[in-house]
Amino acid sequence: MSEIEANVIFSIENLNRDYICALDKLDMNKWLACFNKQGTYTLISNENESNGLPIGFMLDDCYERLQDRVTQVVDIQEDSTEHYQTRHMTQLTNITDLGDNKYKADFNFTVFYTQDLIEQTSILGAGRYEDIILVENGKVSFIQRKAVLDTNVLPRYVPYPI
Amino acid sequence: MSQTPENGATLDWPAKYNEVPKEVFEREDLWPLELEKIFYGDEWHPIVHQSEIPNIGDYKAAELGEMPIFAVRGQDNQIRIFQNACTHRGTTLVTKSSGNKTEFECPYHRWLFSPEGDLVGCPNSREFTPDFDKKNFSLPTFRTEEYNGLYFITMSDTVAPLREYLGEEFYEPLGRILGGDGRLKFVGYQKVHYDCNWKAYCDNDGYHAPLLHLAFKMLNWQGGKGVQNVSENGHLSFESELKIPDDITALKDASILDFKGTETSTGSIVQMQFPLTVYSKHMDMLNIRYAFPKGPKGIEVHYAYFTHEDDDDEMIQHRIRQSSNLLGPCGLISMEDASIFSRIDKGNKTPGNAIFQKGVKSEFQLDLQVGQNDESGNLPRWEHYRKLMGFKRAES
Repeated sequence: MSEIEANVIFSIENLNRDYICALDKLDMNKWLACFNKQGTYTLISNENESNGLPIGFMLDDCYERLQDRVTQVVDIQEDSTEHYQTRHMTQLTNITDLGDNKYKADFNFTVFYTQDLIEQTSILGAGRYEDIILVENGKVSFIQRKAVLDTNVLPRYVPYPI
Repeated sequence: MSQTPENGATLDWPAKYNEVPKEVFEREDLWPLELEKIFYGDEWHPIVHQSEIPNIGDYKAAELGEMPIFAVRGQDNQIRIFQNACTHRGTTLVTKSSGNKTEFECPYHRWLFSPEGDLVGCPNSREFTPDFDKKNFSLPTFRTEEYNGLYFITMSDTVAPLREYLGEEFYEPLGRILGGDGRLKFVGYQKVHYDCNWKAYCDNDGYHAPLLHLAFKMLNWQGGKGVQNVSENGHLSFESELKIPDDITALKDASILDFKGTETSTGSIVQMQFPLTVYSKHMDMLNIRYAFPKGPKGIEVHYAYFTHEDDDDEMIQHRIRQSSNLLGPCGLISMEDASIFSRIDKGNKTPGNAIFQKGVKSEFQLDLQVGQNDESGNLPRWEHYRKLMGFKRAES
């Protein structure tokens, strides 16, 4: 990671910060804005990932799916969901230059949640992000954000991306 | 009038067949009796599909009630299901949810078992009891039956064979969920803990679907003709046409809802096997929901998804993206169910009875003839539960 220019590291950290702040504020349009038109988002258990099993909890494999994720959260499931407040804690662990202004970045994450009515705080999940990030013309965006959960058994249903 | 089963648990059961006492979801003292009468009683329980452990030595850990068990594919390519405990002092042999082993060694005293369950090694055995014989220390297994690659076990010597136990109206559609020939390929789990009693998890009904699931309404997704078959021993089987509109404006990528397959159903099959297993085929998603109660409170559900061996690459990818986005604890068309499990559990701490209405023709008579969207289909399984538990119904 020492070979990566400081401004690139800064940009990648900024993108990640925009992402987790968007989720903690449940601003799904700002979440979507973190991705470019080639962007994909996956939420998958480490059990599936490490065994080569492709099933995810969420598998948004094109930009239209990302847009539909916003629709699902904002317009479709809002009525029945027991809402919770999240706090995403992340730590950048690696950046690799892939060339063509693309970088592979890894973050560890832990997500705390505080559910309405219960109002005690627990851990929703812990794991790692495996990202492919485009840093180009002063803009930074996800080509891929894959959240791999160590927490193979979710503690509850999860209506929002992690 | 309070009733007293063998373990001392008491419960008043209402006279009306469409009423279920809410305390049945909350009473912790019922759990030991449920283990004895249901999970260790005259019921069959699915444990593993052959495609989940496709290679020799592949194993999968599971639970039957509170008993740890594991399924393993032996050197002879046969699948066996064992108690997950060394026959010496009881140490568990498998500590991961799945994996591959050529032998199973207990770390405590290094007793060694083959994938066929035979005890093949035990240090210092010359100093054991005079009549010690390794043949008497094989891993205990279960009465087992296989159907289209799915392996079921029971602790009962007397329960009817699987086909008779399930009944033809359940057995035949289940075969189609299992691909028609069992030649499925396992593609992954979604695992989740639901904060409810196990009976709340499996009390979903035919009434709620078009009302709870807003996705159905937003997508203008109309249910077609269908049937709900129920049995006296508590199994439910739904089958209905799906009419997915050609023009779905609510989604940017409507291909997620494509129904490409025509091979085994006209759209949707959902089956609930007593006590708590759900099988479903919605559109092109093939799904088994293994469920493991965590005592009287909490249940862990493992949604297992499959493709078919005959699928081409496009169909495989379609099934994977559909399964990953529509079903399970994050799914577009099923997540509301999960929210109800939690909410109904909280609400059941209030006194009184849960009352079923839709499709109930008589409050004092059990009816096995139910419509596609009736909730009365759940009542035979409650009656089956009541009888197993030994709770007497109040006089009407």
